Parts: sequence; structure tokens; C-alpha cells
Amino acid sequence: MENNHSYWRENLRLIFICLAIWFVVSFGFGLLLVEPLNEIRLGGYKLGFWFAQQGSIYTFVALIFWYSHQMNKLDKKHNVEES
Amino acid sequence: MNRHTKLAIFVAPFLMVIGYIGSDYFLEYQAEQTQLYQLEPDGPCYVLAEECVLKSNEFKINVLDKNGTTIVNSTFPLDAAILFLVDENDVSDAYALSMGENPYYWQSETPLRQRHLASKEKQKLRIIATIKGGKYISEFYSQR
Repeated sequence: MENNHSYWRENLRLIFICLAIWFVVSFGFGLLLVEPLNEIRLGGYKLGFWFAQQGSIYTFVALIFWYSHQMNKLDKKHNVEES
Repeated sequence: MNRHTKLAIFVAPFLMVIGYIGSDYFLEYQAEQTQLYQLEPDGPCYVLAEECVLKSNEFKINVLDKNGTTIVNSTFPLDAAILFLVDENDVSDAYALSMGENPYYWQSETPLRQRHLASKEKQKLRIIATIKGGKYISEFYSQR
């Protein structure tokens, strides 16, 4: 029972980290901080604009695999991995 | 592909749609707020020579005079444009410009040309261009 509780708590922690990164990258970098970030150039593009157009999507895709990797590690730790 | 990857791939599009809708609401809200932006001359300004560009980030307007008709041409459609001619005593006369062929062009007959030609070398001008509650303002000088 305690094992299940711990597994679920760590799972929720991962989800909140993912949601926080999702919010910071999409709303934070793409909207709220777009003007200061636009002062920085990345390959000729303004950084705020780049995050709004491409950077956030790259981060979302990376988050998918990071979350999956972390969950697999968690599964192993709690001996509930897929066979 | 294990269950966690499948779940993350399934959830991601929903988050993207929520992000898209949230951004849309945020930008619409922001656009409706009255905000002031300062326009700065982009290079030397010669209104009579039809060469005077003011800019603020992506937004640019070109102020020019053609035979007594003062024209403002902008990169984004405007809701209104007011031009002020300022004399040497800092007294200004306001001219509300009318929409030309589309909201990118605003114009009005003004005494700018006569005043400018009568002035020694430069004419002081002010402009207020309104877009969705946002006001782009500038005080600038046109050289002869």
C-alpha cells in the first residue's frame, strides 16, 4: 500500500514538473517574456519568436520522451515495469 | 512503445490545444488594453521628399506629403491616425487623418508643405496612430 502511495506521489511530481516546463516554455517564453527574449538572437531569429514558433514544440516532444524515460525508471524502482 | 510513451503522446496534443486557446485569449486581452508605444525615426526624416519612416519593433509607418496631402502608410492596419503640426512656440494644430483606400493608408490635406517650406530647416511633428486600443506615438522632426 505504501509502495503504491509512493509510486503515485512520484508520478504526480513528474507530471507537475512536465506541466511547469510546458507552461514556462509556451506561455512564459512565447508570450509573457517574449519582448526581453527577442533582444537575444538565435541563428538570426529573435529568441522569443523562435520559442513561440518552434522552441516550445521541440520542448514538448522532448518532454514526451523525458517523461516516458523517468516513468520507466520509476516502474523499475517499484517493480511494476512492463514485461 | 510502452504505456508511458503512448500516454504522453496521447496527452501532448490536448496540452498544445489548451496552449493555443490560452495564448489566443491572452493576446486578445492584451490587444484590448490601452498601451503606449514610442515610435522612433528609422534614419533621417524628409517628409516632403516622401522619405520618413518611424518604427517600433515590427511596426513601421511612413509619413509623406504629396502636393499638400499628408499621407501615413503603416505596416499594420490602423483604427485612427492624428497628425500634429507644431510651430516654433510649441503650439500644435491637430489633423485627424481619414482612411485612404484601405486601413494601411491614412491621409488629409494639411498646411505641412507650406509651413515646412516657410520654416528655416526643420518642422516639428507629432503623430498618434491607434491600433486596437494600442497607441503608437512619436514626436519627430522633418528635415528640408
